[in-house]
Amino acid sequence: MSVPAVADSPSVAPLETPARRPGADLWRAVARNRKAVVGALLLLFFFVLAIFPGQIAPYAPTGEEFGRGLPPSSAHWFGTTAYGQDVLSQLIWGTRQSLAIAFAVGGLATLISVLIGVSAAYFGGFTDGFLSLVTDVILVIPIFPLIIVIAAYERNSGMVTLVVVLGLLGWSYGARQLRSQALSLRNRDFLEAARVRGERGLYVVFFEILPTMTSLIVASFLGAALYAVLFAAGLQFIGLGDPNSQSWGTMLYWAENNEALGAGMAYWAIMPGVCIALLGAAFALLNYAFDEISNPALRRRKLEQKGAESLHTAPVPEVAADPTKILEVRGLSVAYASDAGPVVAVDNVDLDLGRGEFLGIVGESGCGKSTLLYAIARLLGAPLAGEITGGQILFKGRDMVTLGERELRHIRWREYSVVMQSAMNALNPVLTVEAQMRDALEAHSKMSKREMHARAEEVLRLVSIDPVHLHSYPHQLSGGMRQRAMIAMALLFTPDLIIMDEPTSALDVVAQRSLMVQIKELQERLGFAVIFVTHDMSLVSHFSDRLLVMYAAQVAEYGDTRQLFERPLHPYTQGLLEAFPSIRGEKVRLTGIPGAPPDLLRPPSGCRFAPRCPHVHERCMIGPPLYEVDGDLVRCVLYEHEREAALAQ
Amino acid sequence: MSEHVNEPLLRTEGLTRHFKVGKLFSRQHLHAVDDVDLTIGRGEIVALVGESGSGKSTIARLLARVYKPTRGEIYFEGKPLSRLRTRRERLAYASDVPMVFQDPYSSINPAYRVVHGVRRALLLHRRAEGRKVRRGEVERVFGEVGLVPAGAMIGKFPHELSGGQRQRVGFAQALAFRPKLIIADEPVSMLDVSIRIGILNLMSELREREGVSFLYITHDVASARYIADRVLVMYAGHLVEEGPTEDVLQNPKHPYTQLLVSAVPDPRAPLGVSDAADVGEPPKVVNPEEGCRFRQRCPYRIAVCDTVTPELRELGPRRLAACHVAQADAVQAAAQAR
Repeated sequence: MSVPAVADSPSVAPLETPARRPGADLWRAVARNRKAVVGALLLLFFFVLAIFPGQIAPYAPTGEEFGRGLPPSSAHWFGTTAYGQDVLSQLIWGTRQSLAIAFAVGGLATLISVLIGVSAAYFGGFTDGFLSLVTDVILVIPIFPLIIVIAAYERNSGMVTLVVVLGLLGWSYGARQLRSQALSLRNRDFLEAARVRGERGLYVVFFEILPTMTSLIVASFLGAALYAVLFAAGLQFIGLGDPNSQSWGTMLYWAENNEALGAGMAYWAIMPGVCIALLGAAFALLNYAFDEISNPALRRRKLEQKGAESLHTAPVPEVAADPTKILEVRGLSVAYASDAGPVVAVDNVDLDLGRGEFLGIVGESGCGKSTLLYAIARLLGAPLAGEITGGQILFKGRDMVTLGERELRHIRWREYSVVMQSAMNALNPVLTVEAQMRDALEAHSKMSKREMHARAEEVLRLVSIDPVHLHSYPHQLSGGMRQRAMIAMALLFTPDLIIMDEPTSALDVVAQRSLMVQIKELQERLGFAVIFVTHDMSLVSHFSDRLLVMYAAQVAEYGDTRQLFERPLHPYTQGLLEAFPSIRGEKVRLTGIPGAPPDLLRPPSGCRFAPRCPHVHERCMIGPPLYEVDGDLVRCVLYEHEREAALAQ
Repeated sequence: MSEHVNEPLLRTEGLTRHFKVGKLFSRQHLHAVDDVDLTIGRGEIVALVGESGSGKSTIARLLARVYKPTRGEIYFEGKPLSRLRTRRERLAYASDVPMVFQDPYSSINPAYRVVHGVRRALLLHRRAEGRKVRRGEVERVFGEVGLVPAGAMIGKFPHELSGGQRQRVGFAQALAFRPKLIIADEPVSMLDVSIRIGILNLMSELREREGVSFLYITHDVASARYIADRVLVMYAGHLVEEGPTEDVLQNPKHPYTQLLVSAVPDPRAPLGVSDAADVGEPPKVVNPEEGCRFRQRCPYRIAVCDTVTPELRELGPRRLAACHVAQADAVQAAAQAR
């Protein structure tokens, strides 16, 4: 057999950027984060002071006697101490010890927390139980009193003791975080792949798990360093360090002993505190920034209105709503904000839906089909944080785009309802089915308790679930029953439109077929319209009246389901149909569609399917409009002549 | 190899795996896999079909030695796996029987370039062959799976590849072992429809070119038909039907296989009428009682189904099914033929 028909050849790969380390991305994210930049600059400032005190400080920290308790002057910016030394010089020389302690303790605590946290998660069982117990015990020890006791016992102890004690007590918080992160990795397939490959346990821990936790390890180091700065200063302040050492804490100790504040040497007492606060702030800012970077959900992005306005090109003509249609979508565009600019996930989509009609929306992952559905349901926001940037959604004649949250609440669930992909995520795990139905009924109607119970029983029967399951919790139901319960909830008010987002994708074929048949039966009996989003075209082939095929945020083909299956027009639709092996009939070699869908951040300038299309030619360089062919709409220049023929008539 | 000429590449005998579930005092046993005898020949693609929870992924992990069998034995080229003692023997088996995972987004370590897995495989298993040979091998396996130009693909990070390309990396890793059998656990179910066929074609090409056998685990009967020579149907931890793919799918003997085949959405065929009767509820395999595990859903249920667990028996040439009714029918048909 010949060399494979290279399915995902790099020439059409969406990402053409040169290979980068994720580290490079991390670095870029740090550089863009304001907190990180301020924190890093502060830290850099103290670093310079710590490394070159001799060059920067105007005087030696000790020994040189000037006048005692001098006020600030040009020779002594912050005045002198009660012992006649320059406060500024002492501050600068003291930086070294504070930084050294911060980094030594941070390093030691992080090392311990990595070892304990990751081994607890990786080995599990007894090891995990024991190590977690130790971690928790350390976590609840009141550290400050304990350190005072230790430091008092080791009176006048040096820096090393301080570092060891702080390090040994400061790792527990980081260990807990690292453990939970590693636990979430434990079932990732790449670890199993490494074990199946024959790697040893230690290799897996150090070379497979740890590299994926870089940002958390950095955060834990920064957290420990911050804690070390504060604790070391605190101990030295109460006199439990070496009183002759050069550090901010020791300065505070002597200032306090000499009642510096009252004796006109305010800077002696205040400036060490300011330095401690600034160094602490540097670590805290960096820590916070890393948290934001490793946890994108914390970051808030806003769609730049400027960029978004230029996105929707065609103005929507004002046409009166068609009373026979329950839903008309005109020129709808939705965009997401991203670090690299706006991503248009739904681009100028038109569709309409008659009463009691079943519309299937089909497309690959990332083609914008779910975004379109969320936009129609006016549910954009977390987790799909797109914004409607143009167009109209006329639901029973009202423009949903302009409706406020209060008006939406009136029609949501009563007039249209939504069934999500995963019932396990959409149902509340701690409420019974009946309680959840009651919540919905209470929020949207004024039924009595008895009426609500009767209605709940009624809708469960509709989806062939025994009403005893009103008292069941979601986890007590099978996957198929959970999806049915979701549909029952959507039927609570007998809406005119039910919007479904791949409600069967988590089910096995048998359960899937059974659910589809049931949805169809209910639809015919109750007369609601359905929008059904799926990636599996064959699933809706027997159920939908019309199909809308989406590709790269645009409508590729839109028309009657049977006609579309029998005579697919768009090369993409043709390719999709060719991609399904059949269970009956002759066995033929299939080819699928080469390549992958484009990156919506940088869609191809002409026809978006052109890079994967077998019929591509130079006219595809200009993005085609939708052409009408036998009542179907198709976005492909192959059908240009059809329009010319229609115009000629 | 000469001493096991008639021995299939891989064979299991009474392979069983139970998991303990529940609290200390209400400990129960989940029968994930019960008494499975299966064989995989050299250069053969065998599809293992079943719904989620039927135990097919557990079989994959038993064969990959992620789990140890509760009972039963796996023979690879005639040698029982329980006799693997040294790390060297275990590594040798790992390189003969690698695994490709379902989720291409979680099976590659995001912190490394995509070549990492291939390099490690070569270092662990073919260290002696020298750096130069290994480097050539990296390029060869990337080329084999269609990740070209290999030189450029090697340096990419997982997030720079599409799902289909990532899954090809998974196959490249498996190929680096010079394997005899690749266990592919639902390798296309997470991929978009338009790129699934590419991966399925890749599997049959690798069989042609490299002579590798495949255990293709899937819930998608149509894709099993597309590439597999033989199909095994699993239900609730039991193997319920086995035979040449075309035979089994066109003329299923076990009622579960019949249901499964009828439920596959096929735009080219008219919609079946009797489809909605079964709601597709999964069976209970925690502390199961004796009897056929499909009987609650079975339209042909007879008295013996409640008391005796049917065994997988031969019904015709290379056709096996574990069903009292089908077995009785076969006996009757044979008697009539005489």
